[in-house]
Amino acid sequence: MNEDEGKALATHEQELRRGTVVFASLVACRRPQYGYSLLTTLTEAGIATEANTLYPLLRRLEKQGLLTSVWNTEQARPRKYYTLTDSGAEVAAALHSHWLELNSSITQLWKDGTP
Amino acid sequence: MSALTEIYVDNVTRHLPEDSRPDIAAEITATIDDMVDARLGEDADTSPDHTAAVEREVLEELGDPVALSREYSNSPQHLIGPNSYPVFVWALRWVLPVVGLLAVLTNVVTTIAVSPGVQIGEIIGKAAGNTVIALLTAFAAITIIIGLGDRGMDGGAADSLRKRKPGTWTVDDLDRGDSHGKQIRAEAGLGLVFIVALATVPLIPTTLLYVGHLNDGETFINPDLGVGWLVGYWAFLALMAVVEIIKFTTASAKPTVALFGGIVDLAMAVFLTIALLTQPVLHPELTNTANADIQQIITVIAIWIITVWDQVSTWRIYRRNRR
Repeated sequence: MNEDEGKALATHEQELRRGTVVFASLVACRRPQYGYSLLTTLTEAGIATEANTLYPLLRRLEKQGLLTSVWNTEQARPRKYYTLTDSGAEVAAALHSHWLELNSSITQLWKDGTP
Repeated sequence: MSALTEIYVDNVTRHLPEDSRPDIAAEITATIDDMVDARLGEDADTSPDHTAAVEREVLEELGDPVALSREYSNSPQHLIGPNSYPVFVWALRWVLPVVGLLAVLTNVVTTIAVSPGVQIGEIIGKAAGNTVIALLTAFAAITIIIGLGDRGMDGGAADSLRKRKPGTWTVDDLDRGDSHGKQIRAEAGLGLVFIVALATVPLIPTTLLYVGHLNDGETFINPDLGVGWLVGYWAFLALMAVVEIIKFTTASAKPTVALFGGIVDLAMAVFLTIALLTQPVLHPELTNTANADIQQIITVIAIWIITVWDQVSTWRIYRRNRR
């Protein structure tokens, strides 16, 4: 792969990631998560995410009513925990079925195009 | 929280709305501390220097605070959005040439009228300087107005999305309006406004441009000019208006109409050139013997610039429509 192809691949991978991070965050937030715990959860699941895009994203999802947040001050370090709302759960479920459909479509397309 | 983290957090939050700053600051601080702790936990070295190095590493991973702040603010990062851009370009294409020519004409006429015996260099210098200012002002005004409009409609994208619920769009929702026809109508409407403005020129008193003291508030036109010339002038304008009305009502610019319009424009330019070069068309008290000819010649040049520009733009539109 030459340098130009490498750059193009990096751009397309970034585009793919951008779409999946929202979905992955909603799925992960079915259990309460604070910023860093979500980051490590996603990283351990193999979904590489940059911290500087994840935290603003959480706030946007909260504004959209898909997540709700609460500050936990009982621990030594106060942390803001995000949890999926009812509408967030509906969106996550819908995204999940879309994801499965896409996966099967891409797999079929790949098979059909394989010589 | 270390001083370095404090500075970083301050850099992120300083451009954010005041009410959201404490919450975001607390969240980023907790995150930075978590990230630092996680890295230190993997390491046996707990010296202050090592902790500072890890903290620096974490902050660098979070990246430019301005970029992070931008992610949080989630506001449009452009002045003119994609939906407003065509209107912006259209406004610049039409308004700037008109403002430029009006500024040149006004400056030339008033400079000569106010300062008898003025040198050609001074006329050019004043006209050029003031025209540049007028153009920059017009550009700024257009940009600010459309930029503010763009803020109101979020580049147009959000507005168009809000109009209907997702999944409810049908082919009946297609905008079947003829955008090409709309453009022709808009141009014809603008043309009619200019024609009306030109028709009033012989009637405008000098007081309107604050030089009424030069000829006791009479018009800019020589009162002894034969009525035939004025009737001819208005007759040509009427023909030009007919062309624009046809374009407006039919919302099309057929080659025959465009050709007729071009011929009328050229005939008008020839008519005005003859009128200006054979007699004093401007009010005698606004001119003097030394500069009267220069004034008339500059006016003729301006008329031909407008005519040629009009012909070229008509030809370009005609070619574009043929594709």
